Amino acid sequence: MSERISVAIEMAQGWRYSSGDAMARFSEGLRRKRIEALQCGGCRRRYLPPRPVCGNCHLPLSDWVPVSDKGTLEAWTVVFLPFLDARTGEVRDGPYGMGLIRLDGSDATLNHYLAENDPARLAVGMRVRAVWREELRGAMDDILHFEILP
Amino acid sequence: MRPVAIIGTGQTDHARRRDDVSQPELVREAASRALTDAGLRPADLDAVVIANMELFEGRAMPELWVGEGAFANGKPCMKVATGGTSGTSSCIAGFHQAASGLFDVVLVVGFEKHSEGHTQTGMALTDPFWDRAVASGALGNFALSISQYMAERGVTEEQAARVAVKSRRNAARNPHAHLKDADATVDDVLNSKLLAHPVRLMDMCPQSDGAAAIVVASADRARELCPRPAWVKAAATRHEQPYIGDIERRLLTMRTLKDASRSVYAAAGITEPLQQFDVAEIYEPVTYAELAWYEILGFCPEGEAGRLIEDGVTEMGGELPVNPSGGVLSANPVGATGVIRMAEAASQILGRAGAHQVEGAETALVTGYGVYAWADAAILGSAA
Repeated sequence: MSERISVAIEMAQGWRYSSGDAMARFSEGLRRKRIEALQCGGCRRRYLPPRPVCGNCHLPLSDWVPVSDKGTLEAWTVVFLPFLDARTGEVRDGPYGMGLIRLDGSDATLNHYLAENDPARLAVGMRVRAVWREELRGAMDDILHFEILP
Repeated sequence: MRPVAIIGTGQTDHARRRDDVSQPELVREAASRALTDAGLRPADLDAVVIANMELFEGRAMPELWVGEGAFANGKPCMKVATGGTSGTSSCIAGFHQAASGLFDVVLVVGFEKHSEGHTQTGMALTDPFWDRAVASGALGNFALSISQYMAERGVTEEQAARVAVKSRRNAARNPHAHLKDADATVDDVLNSKLLAHPVRLMDMCPQSDGAAAIVVASADRARELCPRPAWVKAAATRHEQPYIGDIERRLLTMRTLKDASRSVYAAAGITEPLQQFDVAEIYEPVTYAELAWYEILGFCPEGEAGRLIEDGVTEMGGELPVNPSGGVLSANPVGATGVIRMAEAASQILGRAGAHQVEGAETALVTGYGVYAWADAAILGSAA
């Protein structure tokens, strides 16, 4: 019987994705530390990320509403394993904090990193604030992470 | 729609690595076993449904590569790929095909060979504008919603650990399971490595290589071919809004699973699930999720799942054995995982579950789960 073999494949590839108009406006706002949500005229839900149609009411969305860069920690964890960044292929080492943050003025929660990575110092309901990158690029990671407010 | 039944099942012996076989060979193992169990030959099949998450193994059109192993040559064949629900949704697609009258005998095969791919990468390749910058994978997402579940319902790490112990002990009696430990203890779980607070290694499902298959038949063929078919009493699937942040208090509400389960309960006349089901095979990717599902599936009131596991209600020999197979915590080849749930529940009704048979099982619940975005539910029974 032949020895078993396996074939190894390595490849580098690039992709390009169109954002649509709603995400383009949102991303442009991030360059000025401005966060905006789109609000549904039917259910009044304020959507992050903004999108052109309400998935529940199927109504077109055009009412932009301002959202604060402060909010409430609705859920949290500290990840102890390294994790792959799906945009760069780079690894983020643990431990790092993650939270679901309800920004003041939004109904949806935002999944983002936390500056705090000690489980003993994190709790649901804490107030948090965005820490912005110095050089803003118009992407979600213009917010580096959220810090816990006293 | 015509009544349909499951008349045979087949599974590989799921493991961390199956270097001894290629992907089509892995699929053929499960498909052949299902045909043998049903007493059929490949020529008896009218159609084939395949479940697989192709990005996990990084190749296109897996249904073409593995189709021959699933006896699909010259037959109608389609693929379902909806994360964790791929398997249960493919089974439901097979039910619909047979129930519609289009086909009499349908083979459903799910498979995954995680050892040959990058599951974490596949999981992370979501919306490039929103999700990827802050992705934390399945593990981080579970851990986030678990913090809400613990804060609101008071479930403890020890109660979650009891789920892991039940699962790995049950798995010790299942020849197909990947992780088995007849001597597992709560301390073992609480001392296992912390992955993402509060989730520990033994709280999580593994990544497995494996395949599973069921044979679905129309009522006439089922009666001809099988002395005690597992009849499909009801099945439902639900999808959710796209973003994790869209879904309110995820583990606590799980709108998709609640809606899907209430739909099948209504169709099958289930009003007291804990009393009326004899066995359940539910899709629990992490220990805490099994507790949350007890509440969402109506096995107990909200906040009482911890008591249910402490009282042994869902153990083998309890009022409602949950996951006699060892569940997802003991074997998780994702595309196959939902088919395994269906195959295990069907085996219980068929009376072919071997050492983990629930004696006299007549009504079984099956659920599927896909990253909070999707949920499936189905009820199987011994009476048409």
